[in-house]
Amino acid sequence: MSIQDSRADMLARMRSRLGRNAAQDAEAAERVAAALRAPVPAPRPPLPADLTACFIERALSMQSTVARISVMHEVPQACADYLARTCLPPTAVVWPQIAALDWAGAGIEVVARAAQGEDLTGITGSFCALAETGTLVLCSGPDSPATVSLLPETHIAIVDASRILAGMEEAFALLRREAGGVPRSLNFVSGPSRTGDIEQTIVLGAHGPSRVHLVVVG
Amino acid sequence: MQIQSMHFKARVTDKLADSVLQDNLRKTKSKFVGKRAQAIQELPEFEATREAARAIRDRVLNDLDHWLLAFEQEASRRGATVLWARDGDEVCRLVLEIAARHDCRKVVKSKSMLSEESGLNQALEAAGVVPVETDLGEYILQLNDNEAPSHIIAPVFHKSKEEVSELFARRHGTPRKTDITALAREAREQLRPQFLSADMGISGGNFLIAETGSVALVTNEGNGRMCTTVPRVHVAITGVEKIVPTLEDFATLMRLLPRSATGQSISNYVSLLTGTRGEQESDGARHMYFILVDAGRVDLVHGEFQEMLRCIRCGACMNHCPVYQTVGGHAYGWVYPGPMGSVLTPLFQGLERAIDLPNAATMCNQCGVVCPVKIPLPDLLRKLRTKQIELKLRPWSERMAIRLWAWVAARPALYAWLAARGARYLKWLAGERAYIDMLGIAPGWTSTRAFPAPQGKTFRELHAEQAKAATRGAHH
Ligand code: SF4
Repeated sequence: MSIQDSRADMLARMRSRLGRNAAQDAEAAERVAAALRAPVPAPRPPLPADLTACFIERALSMQSTVARISVMHEVPQACADYLARTCLPPTAVVWPQIAALDWAGAGIEVVARAAQGEDLTGITGSFCALAETGTLVLCSGPDSPATVSLLPETHIAIVDASRILAGMEEAFALLRREAGGVPRSLNFVSGPSRTGDIEQTIVLGAHGPSRVHLVVVG
Repeated sequence: MQIQSMHFKARVTDKLADSVLQDNLRKTKSKFVGKRAQAIQELPEFEATREAARAIRDRVLNDLDHWLLAFEQEASRRGATVLWARDGDEVCRLVLEIAARHDCRKVVKSKSMLSEESGLNQALEAAGVVPVETDLGEYILQLNDNEAPSHIIAPVFHKSKEEVSELFARRHGTPRKTDITALAREAREQLRPQFLSADMGISGGNFLIAETGSVALVTNEGNGRMCTTVPRVHVAITGVEKIVPTLEDFATLMRLLPRSATGQSISNYVSLLTGTRGEQESDGARHMYFILVDAGRVDLVHGEFQEMLRCIRCGACMNHCPVYQTVGGHAYGWVYPGPMGSVLTPLFQGLERAIDLPNAATMCNQCGVVCPVKIPLPDLLRKLRTKQIELKLRPWSERMAIRLWAWVAARPALYAWLAARGARYLKWLAGERAYIDMLGIAPGWTSTRAFPAPQGKTFRELHAEQAKAATRGAHH
């Protein structure tokens, strides 16, 4: 049997095991379509009263660091402060989406593109953030390449406080509303990369960034 | 992977005698258990979420064909190619065809148990394609001459940091490191150039989402993101049962998976990958393939073992299993160890090739209690035991003994009489002492431990006395 037949064979065996007649098969197709139209509700943890406070608390517990500022134009200075404090050079690769901020004014030299292996710091925005787990939600796109939050050792992300949502469900609803669905690469990032593979002892800094700094605006 | 499960007993004897392994197991034993218990405390809705998760998995399995078609349609619409494979050989053939089509010489891999099942690394090497494992645990195993993993989420559960340190020094030619952070750093530095120069990334998939045609990867290290972002080609290999209907269903399952697996409220990176790089995009795979694999799964649909297909590969059952924690994962002799492995291995590889695995359980039901999708693992093990007897796979003496016991147990008076005689005989055998050193009819029982001698009267005698006393009391 050729590999082209595998699909037919696997589906045929599933059908025969499920033992449906034509009418039952149509019902099954309808069940699937209905479940796709209207997701089945499931229990959720209670919503925190203050989403921003909850987000920050959980993000800290996932070993992100956090700075809070009030307006967007303070972002470059907040990033510069963090880089200076961490003894990192004032250079970064940034999402094209945030290239227009006044980086030079804060003394940071930026390039707006996808990241490369040798980039030390990557600065990104975020689509939204989740209070339940202290998580950044990042969507890939021409103005927001996925590598910027992945290849550099240090990742700084800008979080708009008005876009801190309760949990994944709200993020998905927002994606459907604003973007018509999921992007090619949708990443939920909660703190620096880590591994527990050796003796089940967690250490920070595996293949992704070993530092994640969040600049919460608002 | 070549199955070795028929040698379970011999391997257990080796593993029990391996003092290094026993030390390593003791050291890591309670870490997962403690963290899971804590993580579950944070989620008061844990039990209700578990029930919802069970329902989600059942909803998919009950109409699996239609869910797969819905997934295929959406994944194709987004530019991915969906391929189907009946077994591990077909998986290997498909991957090699894709590698040839896109001229791929080097493959970076994030953890995929199906790739272990299929022996994919050997197939790639034979075809001149270099596979590089990038999950730290899997990387260590590959470096150690392709050693087999001993745990589904912590592949080097059986190794100490000293052993890893020794291995790295030997294979990388670097000075010995003493702490785990330095070892992880060394692996990062070794693997970074591999990621940047690879042509293809191969991943497994924690879930496939029918609504969006996406594969979901859950990792802490970020290697899953690397394998699916940097190389030109991405191939995701998953079992057909990994489908979840909607993004909301995925969110529900994600409240359980990291908590049950590592005791985290969420893993560092949860990635949904859908289709290929857009015209304007500057990174991401240009070609994306899904390989949906049967390898024994289709035959479980709508049968007495369908519940096993709910499994989300969290590893909680093995972390809580007294047998696994005593013998380690290698004793089980195939890809999947612990209680889930003792069910899956006989089902995927044949009961006759894994004859001891259904019996490698104390039936304490720890696994059933912690399983986030409520798989009744002890019931499934019991069904496999029944099958062993029906298929006459167990020794004649064992089958006869069970038959005889069943015959006696169905006759209460005879049972009581024999039990009383038996107890008295054992007491006589023990003499003055509280233990029996050697049981004549079953020497295996007493080869490594003493058998406690029965004390006092039998349960039935005590019960009868009490009943008598109670009636007397009522008369007064
Ligand atoms: S059987 Fe249950 S506990 Fe074991 S790995 Fe699967 S989902 Fe986890």
